[in-house]
Amino acid sequence: MSKAKSPLRRLNETQSAYLLLLPFLLTYGLFLIYPFFRGVWISLHDWNLLQVAFNPDAKQFVGFENYVRVMWGRNIEWSPWARPVLQTLGLLGIAAAVTLNRTRRLTGATAIALGLAGVALFLIAGVYAGEEGRWFDRRFWPTVGNTVLFVGLTVPGVTISALLIAAALNRETRAMGLLRTLFFLSQVLSVTVVTLIWQIMFSPRQGLIANITELSGGSPITWLTDERFAMAAIVIATIWWSLGIAMILFLAGLQDISKDLFEAGALDNCTGIRAFWYITLPNLKRTITLVIILQIILHFQVFGQSHLMTQGGPNDETQVLVRYIYQTAFRDSELGRASAMAVFLFVIMGAFSIVQFLVGREEKD
Amino acid sequence: MKHLLTGTLLACACASAATAQDITLGRFFGACEDAGNDTKASVGEACIIQSIINAADAEIEGVSIETLPTDWGNYYDQIKAAYAGGTPPDVHVMHRHRVPEFAGFGALAALTEDDLSGAGIDPADWTDSARDAVTYNGEIYGVPMDLHANLWHVNMDLMAEAGLVENGEPVLPSSPEELLEHARQLKEATGQNYLAADFAQFPIGVRLVLALMWQQGENIFSEDGTATIDNDAAQVAVETITQLFAEDLSNPQLNYADSQQSFLNGEAAVLVNGTWVVDFYTAEAAKEETGLDNYYAADFPTLFGEGATWADSHIWVIPSPVKQDAEKYSAALKVLAFINEHNVDWARTGHMAVRNSVLESDEYAALPHRTEYAGTADIARDTPPAENYGAIQDVLNRELQAIWLTDKPVDDALADANIEVQDLLDR
Repeated sequence: MSKAKSPLRRLNETQSAYLLLLPFLLTYGLFLIYPFFRGVWISLHDWNLLQVAFNPDAKQFVGFENYVRVMWGRNIEWSPWARPVLQTLGLLGIAAAVTLNRTRRLTGATAIALGLAGVALFLIAGVYAGEEGRWFDRRFWPTVGNTVLFVGLTVPGVTISALLIAAALNRETRAMGLLRTLFFLSQVLSVTVVTLIWQIMFSPRQGLIANITELSGGSPITWLTDERFAMAAIVIATIWWSLGIAMILFLAGLQDISKDLFEAGALDNCTGIRAFWYITLPNLKRTITLVIILQIILHFQVFGQSHLMTQGGPNDETQVLVRYIYQTAFRDSELGRASAMAVFLFVIMGAFSIVQFLVGREEKD
Repeated sequence: MKHLLTGTLLACACASAATAQDITLGRFFGACEDAGNDTKASVGEACIIQSIINAADAEIEGVSIETLPTDWGNYYDQIKAAYAGGTPPDVHVMHRHRVPEFAGFGALAALTEDDLSGAGIDPADWTDSARDAVTYNGEIYGVPMDLHANLWHVNMDLMAEAGLVENGEPVLPSSPEELLEHARQLKEATGQNYLAADFAQFPIGVRLVLALMWQQGENIFSEDGTATIDNDAAQVAVETITQLFAEDLSNPQLNYADSQQSFLNGEAAVLVNGTWVVDFYTAEAAKEETGLDNYYAADFPTLFGEGATWADSHIWVIPSPVKQDAEKYSAALKVLAFINEHNVDWARTGHMAVRNSVLESDEYAALPHRTEYAGTADIARDTPPAENYGAIQDVLNRELQAIWLTDKPVDDALADANIEVQDLLDR
């Protein structure tokens, strides 16, 4: 046996840290960083999926034309009153951020986030196609709107129902353990199974919901093809599906709250709903923020539910961004255009990640 | 002894590895678990095609076929992604309407007459429309398998109750006004809907409107790439259908499965759907428990000047990269030849055969309901060839659904459809 030091021992701490990080960095670089920049690169080209596969020279550099073709139009104008309701809502958001911050009911970063959201809403909602004008891609912005609506309905739905279930199940009995498992079970199903289950549930001919409405004397709703209910249908299926993770996070948060607080509260006659409102909720604030931001990022990427349950219909009411990207890339073979939309989606999700980062940092201080 | 045995085993393994050509096959039509090898016994598109493939796998010397798992709804997306990744299946099925898109980029192998006859396929036996279906810029790019079209599937008991049967044949309308009249008459006599179709999911409603436009001598776009949807013919075609919805003589909210179920339950006298379900409905009508007992498959009626119904063809193709491997190419051709050979078995689905020798055979004439829709081959139509056919169909489906599911005004929907289709044709 030689007594020479093994080469590994000669490394200092930093060097071995890099060595241990290497597998991660390689995988991360290869499967996330490289594809991302490649995607940006493709988005700057007129790039037909099939054509380039058979002739690599068939792509053409077009700069930002894909972005213009997707997001802009002819005679696009801006006015502070183009969409009064949305823009007023944006102004109210700015006002609320300022006043709440002044009265110290909102902290710096949260106020800035709310204020920026208000400014963005006020500015974006004011853009419209003027007379004789048109959007080059008439479906893109409505699709973005549908995606935002989906997120806007799903995230509060998941958060509130998961919170209530977690609060109800936060007891150490066997029955509660069983129920916790049951509620979590839906989470392990794949999107195909979930959508299949809910398509049967929503079916106006054989579905459970239709049978119940018929028993109570109503005529069954054609959930998936009625414009008033199609979005609600995919939101309901999604809430049922993604309840589990949020519930587990809330349960963990709940178990972190010291029992002393509840005992002290009970002495002051603060029990039940009041205890939930004044003790549980304030102590869960961090978990709630985390759940909301994770859900926002997750649900912006909705695809399967819309693709499998409604095919984006009726009349594009449930068309969402990822499905539009998918169709553009694979049905229409327009990879450049699809990549431009994907970069747009990345920017939105990146913005929410930054918000999460800011909020998380602030609470550590 | 032991060595000898091992040696023989090894030799066998090597020999079979050297001669057996593995062919991967991509298809839609849905899954069939136990199709078996008997091409004469299976029922329904999925099982009939799989039984033919299984038989090919068993009977063609030195070729073993692996059917890839694919999904109907996303078939072309999957196939395109496979081409883009450089791993397309060795043979795959597609529609006639996709040929310009795939052959246009050189994705498909051009099959010479020598290749075809060498494998035992005689292109001269194909009908003219079948030969057109696989021809692009003068070259043959595939082997046709059928001509399929929209039919009117009829519940004869409901029609008889409404007095709409003469000489054992259904009396079908010859004008939009008569259509409305028949529908009212049937509702009055039976309380059921006159017409059902998938107006809410797949583009079957689109194909109905297209047929009614072609019957007036119009089309949705011209060969030179100009959208022509925003006109009186389209307006009339759409209103021919919406007049039924307005009086509750048809329900636009049923999707494919629900509309089919309502027909099988005896809740609709007519179902507009393709030739692919004739054998399935025949089998269902024979069952005691279904509401449909007396089934008739009729040609799409002519409501305007000329006869027309939407039609397409399923064809089998070989990707161009396969041609670089001569043995694989020849094995792939053998598979296509086997499918071509079993054209009459495939026709059992209800599709029309593509080989003249099959069309003239007694076996073909003896297939159920065949004579009832003998006129369909003559009125078969489709839109002009276009590379983004799929996207155009989706635009029409969306705008038409907006009319009947969300009450969008017809004028607005047709104007929007015209702009969007023009955008697609201009891209």
